[in-house]
Amino acid sequence: MKRMKQVRLTPVAALVASALVLSACGAGGRDDDDGDAADSGSTVGVTDDKVTIGAHFPLTGVAAPGYNEIPTGARAYFDFVNANGGVHGRQIEYVVRDDAYNPTNTTKVTNELLLQDEIFAMVGGLGTPTHSAVVDQLNEEGVPDLFVSSGSLMWGDDPEARPMTFGWQPDYESEAKIIGQYVAENMPDAKVGLFLQDDDFGEDAEKGARQFLEEQIVGVERYTSGNTDVGPQIAGLQGAGADLVLGFNTPAYTALARLVSLSLGYEPQWFVSSVGSDSPLVGSLLAEFSEGAVKPGAGALDGVMTTEYIPTLDQGDDPWVQLWERVWEEHGEKGDLSNYKIYGMSHAYALVQALQGVGEDLTREGLVEFMEEQGEGLDGPQLAPFRYGTDSHLGISGMRIVELEGRGSKELTPVLVTDIGDAEITEDTSGQADDAPPESGIPE
Amino acid sequence: MQQFINTALGGLTTGMVYAAFALALVLIWRSTRVVNFAQAPMAMVTTFVALAVIDAGFSYWIGFAVALAAGLVLGAIMERGVMRHVQGKGEINAVILTLGLFIVLHAAAAVVFGNDFRSFPAPFGVRGIEVGGRTVALTGFGIFTIIAVLVVMGLLVALFRFTDLGLRMRAAAFNPEVARLLGVRVPRMMTLGWALASLVGSLAGLLIAGGSLIHPSYMDSVVVLGFVAAVLGGLDSPLGAVVGGLLLGVTLAFVSGYLGSQLVALAALLILMIVLMVRPGGIFSTTAARRV
Repeated sequence: MKRMKQVRLTPVAALVASALVLSACGAGGRDDDDGDAADSGSTVGVTDDKVTIGAHFPLTGVAAPGYNEIPTGARAYFDFVNANGGVHGRQIEYVVRDDAYNPTNTTKVTNELLLQDEIFAMVGGLGTPTHSAVVDQLNEEGVPDLFVSSGSLMWGDDPEARPMTFGWQPDYESEAKIIGQYVAENMPDAKVGLFLQDDDFGEDAEKGARQFLEEQIVGVERYTSGNTDVGPQIAGLQGAGADLVLGFNTPAYTALARLVSLSLGYEPQWFVSSVGSDSPLVGSLLAEFSEGAVKPGAGALDGVMTTEYIPTLDQGDDPWVQLWERVWEEHGEKGDLSNYKIYGMSHAYALVQALQGVGEDLTREGLVEFMEEQGEGLDGPQLAPFRYGTDSHLGISGMRIVELEGRGSKELTPVLVTDIGDAEITEDTSGQADDAPPESGIPE
Repeated sequence: MQQFINTALGGLTTGMVYAAFALALVLIWRSTRVVNFAQAPMAMVTTFVALAVIDAGFSYWIGFAVALAAGLVLGAIMERGVMRHVQGKGEINAVILTLGLFIVLHAAAAVVFGNDFRSFPAPFGVRGIEVGGRTVALTGFGIFTIIAVLVVMGLLVALFRFTDLGLRMRAAAFNPEVARLLGVRVPRMMTLGWALASLVGSLAGLLIAGGSLIHPSYMDSVVVLGFVAAVLGGLDSPLGAVVGGLLLGVTLAFVSGYLGSQLVALAALLILMIVLMVRPGGIFSTTAARRV
């Protein structure tokens, strides 16, 4: 009995001893390069010729259509950069894992990304429910968590609680504020109905819209994602007498809501947030019902108002869209370029820019520090600047309001910028919307 | 008032779809004494078959007929190929097997047909009918749904009540051994029961898909609600299934419209619990539940 105990203890003792030795060495080393902050940070996932980054996306399941194209766009851009020598001599290795939009899976694949793939940073992980399952883990372990593909406030409104996380797209509250102010100023007589997804998305949006439309809102209806019968909700908006419906919903629900309102003979003006207004996707869903009821093709959303914060596929003259077309032609997989792929390329561009900016000594701490100090000045396809700083990790600060028209859109406002809370809405003066990418297509 | 009427009419149409689905469950229950959870994905598969036919350039009605025929064949294949092997090995085995089929069919459909939302055409247009200058929430397709389900119910009642075949099917399900001794070809009756039930199930799938969007899991909520409707009606009577479906459809439409859509699933299960506790034989049962 006694002997057995001794045997078992030996490896433990050895471990303790080696740990002591190691930590002693570490301490010694740190003293030596005092003052050189970059060297003391974590370099997991970084070698001299490679940096590994990861992401979780729904590649299968109900949420996959559209969203599964985002990582293919991002990958095409990384391949483009790699083919041109990478960033500071490092090739970008992009590992995407499928979470099927299920938070339980997100936890699992994030563990795989961290432990198995040993990623340097998480980039563009998609979804509010999914990403909130792993955001604390990433922050506790000090893993940079950049450009979350979701407009929840959670990714940037409290940098102290989540110092490693940075948002990307305009948050839902700011978007709703911009929409709310536009409606209050330009359609003061409209009776407004809100059609909301019953989660953070709808909640944040309602908060923003109510700042300006408290008096004008006549009805609020919430749908549960997954329940495709929205008849009672649309009948509710009709019953409340709403003649302008603000939709904060996903593309499939834009199509469903339009279909149901046809059967109800309900014809309000629609104003759909950027999330739910992908015209080619909604148009293809509505195309089948073309018996004079809905016009086929991308024109199915004609007259619908929405917002945009990055240039989209229909703007073929935009130098950014031309760059994305070039990237997709040279490095894309099969299939055509789409707005979802452009979304992926846009945040991939921002990451490359950040990696360029940090310099040759790449550490996790260095990247986050760079984002806080200089992230606001990053240019790129986004129409308005980022809000990154020590007080906020929220992403793009604004958008313009447009009316969909055939395959394109008509601008109704210049780019408007704002922030959460009671921050004012002003016209953007940064000129971000008019810039063009460098000739090489790779940020300098 | 308009909202009230439109909500009620919407509930009526969806209730009819639940009813169609409940009819399929009742049919299979009456002919094999199994609750078939794979009914929803089977209907989903046949609806995708119809969509493939329509996309290939054929008319809606050819797609419709092909889907019903596919349902008939799929049901027979399921019974002959899968269910037969657990016959007489305990009731629970068969039920669990249908749950397994549920998952297998789901995954297979995602592989074959893709995971995207697809739109499914409706033959009568998707605009509401105008009554006295006002549009009411009843589309041409909605009326077709109601008529189709009532006709199917009538046929099923006639089959079980007035035909020899129906009697033999019930006998085979009720007591296979005795039925066999009396000259009923029990295996054939079981196959027929599955095939017919699957046909009715495909009809439900087509009715709920018409003028809306489909994807591999679009029938999943219907499996629960159709089951509740069938239990409401006593799981044994076609008329009960239709009334149960209507009650459920209208109730849930009002819950969704006036209380909130997040309460729909809760309300459905609450109704199920109450019915099972208060009237285990269904709301129309006059005698105590039969023990088999």
